Amino acid sequence: MTKEQLKSKIAWGVAIFFACIMLVLTLTPFFFMIMNSFRKQFDMLQQGVFHLPHPWYFDNYINVVKNGFFGYFLRSVIVVGISLALMLIISAFAAYPLSRMNFKLNPLIYATIVAMMSVPMHVTLIPIFKLTTAIGFYDSLKALIGPYVAFALPMSVFILTAFMKTIPKEVEESAEIDGCNRFQNFFKIILPLSKSGLSTLAIYNGVSMWNEFAFANTLLITPAKKTLPLALGQFKGEHSLDIPIILAVLTLSVLPMIILFIVFQDKLVKGMMAGAVKG
Amino acid sequence: MRKEKQYSLKQAKARSTAQAATVFLLPALLLIAIFIVYPVIDTFIISGYKWNGISSDKVFIGLDNWKTLIHDEMFWKSFEHNIIVMVFSILLQIPLGMLLATFLDAGGKKFNLFKVIWFLPYLMSSVAIAFLFTYALATNGGMVSSLATIIHGKKVTVDLLGTAPNALFTVIGVMAWQFTPFYMVYFIAGYGNIDTTIYEAAVIDGATRWQYIKHIAIPLLAPIFKTACIMSLIGSLKYFDMIWNMTQGGPAGSTELMATYMYKLSFQQFSMGYGSTVAAGMFILITAIALLFNKVFKAKEVY
Amino acid sequence: MNKKRVFSAILAAALTVSTFVGCGDSSSSNTPAVNTGAKQTDGKNLPELTTEPMEIVLWDIATDEPAKSTQEGAVQRFMADYPNIKVTQVHQQNDNYKQQLVVAMSSGQAPNIYVHWGGGPMAEYYKSGFANDITDMYAKYDHPDFIDAAVAQSTYDGKMLAIPFGGLSGCDIFYNKTIFEELNLEVPETIDELEEVCDTLKANDITPFALANASKWTGSMYYMYLVARHSGNAEFDAAYTQENGGSFTSDAFIYAGTKIQDWVKKGYFPDGVNSLSADDNQDRALIYDGSAAMMLHGAWQVSGIKADNEEWYNENIGVFRFPEDSEAKAKGVPQDVEIGTAIGMGLSFNCYKEDGSVDQDMLDACYVLATQYYNDDTYNNDQISTGTLPSIKGMEDTIDDPNMRIITDVFFDASNVQLWYDQYLPASVTEVHKNCMTELFGLEKTPEEIGQEQDAAMQKAIAEQ
Repeated sequence: MTKEQLKSKIAWGVAIFFACIMLVLTLTPFFFMIMNSFRKQFDMLQQGVFHLPHPWYFDNYINVVKNGFFGYFLRSVIVVGISLALMLIISAFAAYPLSRMNFKLNPLIYATIVAMMSVPMHVTLIPIFKLTTAIGFYDSLKALIGPYVAFALPMSVFILTAFMKTIPKEVEESAEIDGCNRFQNFFKIILPLSKSGLSTLAIYNGVSMWNEFAFANTLLITPAKKTLPLALGQFKGEHSLDIPIILAVLTLSVLPMIILFIVFQDKLVKGMMAGAVKG
Repeated sequence: MRKEKQYSLKQAKARSTAQAATVFLLPALLLIAIFIVYPVIDTFIISGYKWNGISSDKVFIGLDNWKTLIHDEMFWKSFEHNIIVMVFSILLQIPLGMLLATFLDAGGKKFNLFKVIWFLPYLMSSVAIAFLFTYALATNGGMVSSLATIIHGKKVTVDLLGTAPNALFTVIGVMAWQFTPFYMVYFIAGYGNIDTTIYEAAVIDGATRWQYIKHIAIPLLAPIFKTACIMSLIGSLKYFDMIWNMTQGGPAGSTELMATYMYKLSFQQFSMGYGSTVAAGMFILITAIALLFNKVFKAKEVY
Repeated sequence: MNKKRVFSAILAAALTVSTFVGCGDSSSSNTPAVNTGAKQTDGKNLPELTTEPMEIVLWDIATDEPAKSTQEGAVQRFMADYPNIKVTQVHQQNDNYKQQLVVAMSSGQAPNIYVHWGGGPMAEYYKSGFANDITDMYAKYDHPDFIDAAVAQSTYDGKMLAIPFGGLSGCDIFYNKTIFEELNLEVPETIDELEEVCDTLKANDITPFALANASKWTGSMYYMYLVARHSGNAEFDAAYTQENGGSFTSDAFIYAGTKIQDWVKKGYFPDGVNSLSADDNQDRALIYDGSAAMMLHGAWQVSGIKADNEEWYNENIGVFRFPEDSEAKAKGVPQDVEIGTAIGMGLSFNCYKEDGSVDQDMLDACYVLATQYYNDDTYNNDQISTGTLPSIKGMEDTIDDPNMRIITDVFFDASNVQLWYDQYLPASVTEVHKNCMTELFGLEKTPEEIGQEQDAAMQKAIAEQ
């Protein structure tokens, strides 16, 4: 027994050692991002990027905030919030029949949706631009929601279908006996049991929507309508690039995500765990 | 008489299933049709033209673009790069993600700090990552070069992004840094889905943590593995963002991927017609590889 | 000229006052209170602009200061003079600008005025019907007295297609005066002397050239200058047309490639030159920390370095033109070809009616905006104060920065200005050329090999025309 315990202790020791190495690998780039955002461009280029700022310079942040950062931020929150909510409910809607109903077209529809994962995003720029101008959504936040939701769908449906397949058939059947129809089934049983998959998808797509550049850049023109990933543009000229300011923007853009993750990671994990079918 | 009634009941059930399925699927299908299927069809149509992307006269040239594509060295080189990226992405990101998830699952709540920090890279945008790594890997005072200099005691330059085979593998490494956290979370969710009573039962049977992972958890996670692999596979075959910001396909095309090649042709070199052919070719290849992967995996599952 | 300037300055002042007065009186919007008729274009030979409401969409890449204020200012002054014309100015991001234009043009949503760098893409926009031919207007109406090289770069196939506004930019060698003094180095006049300077720097553990060749066009400048010094400007034209034996494998191109590889081997460039990026200012970083002494770069570095630290700039930075090839000079090859741009950027007009005919009213308005408000005195002064020299004759007298002075003199003394290859060549050849630059500096291919690759690309591009 003691030998076993020793063995286990050593194993944990090794594991924690590697875990710490991972920690360093993960944190180093963040460290440099934050550090260099507190310098002047000249200081950074002259002192090298890997030394502590000297002196600490806070004007970058003031400058960023003064240039409408909160507007950009707010618009991003709105677009991502709406798109994410829509995407989650629509993909759960779609995954439900694909995973749990027998109908003729099921394999074909599933295969088509999954095949759409292979579409490179940039080929859709021109058709979507045309469509957006045609329906008058051009240069408004509405324009982004369609593409954001649509592009997240194939992957999400694919994952959710896999998740919903793992929910035992009996759960639903017993509900059916209780007189639930398919819609009640979906909302009362399947959706709650899919929390785990949905949480994962929320993370996966939330992050990529938050950082999405190409659609936003193509479909929004007016500065007062642009989202956060476009805020960088203000500090990038043809020949000039104020790197520390850009790093300040990047730090400020990733910060809310980090806070969100720290605050909600407990809930998120619980959400993920909730997928477990107990007994 | 009875039989007949049963039959029609079945029919009615099938019909109601079909109706319900339609209602559930409609929003997704509609959005996908408008925003993805239509552009894809458009892409295939444009691939039949010689067109600079802006002019009003397109010249229909039939399959000429496709003939060019088949003999286009640059395209196949990009494809090869994509395959390398794909293989190493799957080999790096998924096992590593699994390993981290296993560690966190075994450690429970007290390792929350690890989880939060390990997850950070995934939150960062590709633009930021590209920028930070070009600096961190720069030959002039970059992290790696500085480290090598310290170790060797004299000035050593490690050129990770500027020479041909290195650059591709460096990019693969950076991609792993960016995406491993996602797979980690994915596997954490997978672990969470395993009924805790299974673990308890295993412990009662005298299984060690390792035995439990090897014989019980991993087989139970197999479907999650499969979806993770397909995600990584497709993701790496159509990857664009970080590479575009970091190397633009360079040096000398050694990190050119299908997507960057397509982008350059379509939007920078005024050959939208041929660029669309590349995009369409890319779509066909990715779908084929994903299907193949799916088949191979399915066959294994049966066994 | 001078008289005119004073006159228009007075007018502008008068206008400012009248605008100011007009502002307080917001109720009288139906009387033309804002505009008392005194426009800065009064008395000039220009087309009469419409009094009907009109909307013009303008795309530029002035996302950051100071370009933003300078260019917005021009548009504001125009709109104050012509209140019926609304100019919607959109600042696109430089990185994706070409893509944005392609998307908009292919969807029939192209802007009425847009900026570009001339060269191959300008020709492409014109051939696709997105750039008005303004040759006749330019001959008929007033315009700033642009330098010949600028007019040449705004012209394709004998047609004037753009109005310059970005200012000229030559490439010269910036150097660290302090390091040169410490090591008793003189500014080199010939390539041989340049090599001696490099050897001395090398011996003192200083990298001669700060080159960040991940950007590729940076290395291309060395290649182009060596070609130009060896055989003059005709070499570029010959390789471009591939006619009369013109080729990227000619003596001059092989000489340039060989020289560069020789320099690479001697360590004149930083280690890992292909992984350093000029977009991230990694070349400037080498100059700032003193590890490199020279940098061949565009004139905008003056304002860039000044913005980073003016004091340091004044103390340390000097500039000289790319040295001469004494052998070639003896043979009579002109040694004063300049690599750079005479226009910086140009404004092209896309004014067509739905039936495809020219929308002359709008084109007139665009012409007046581009020639009289961009390129007016206020605009030019703004440009000069931020280190950019307008491509207009006589402007060179206003320079006071000593380095800018040298750059300008070199530029104006040049017998020819050759546009950068990454803007000059057809877009498909540009990509090949850039890759060749990586391979050349990375010693992965010989000068012959890259010459052949560029020839093949050029021939293919010509065949496709």
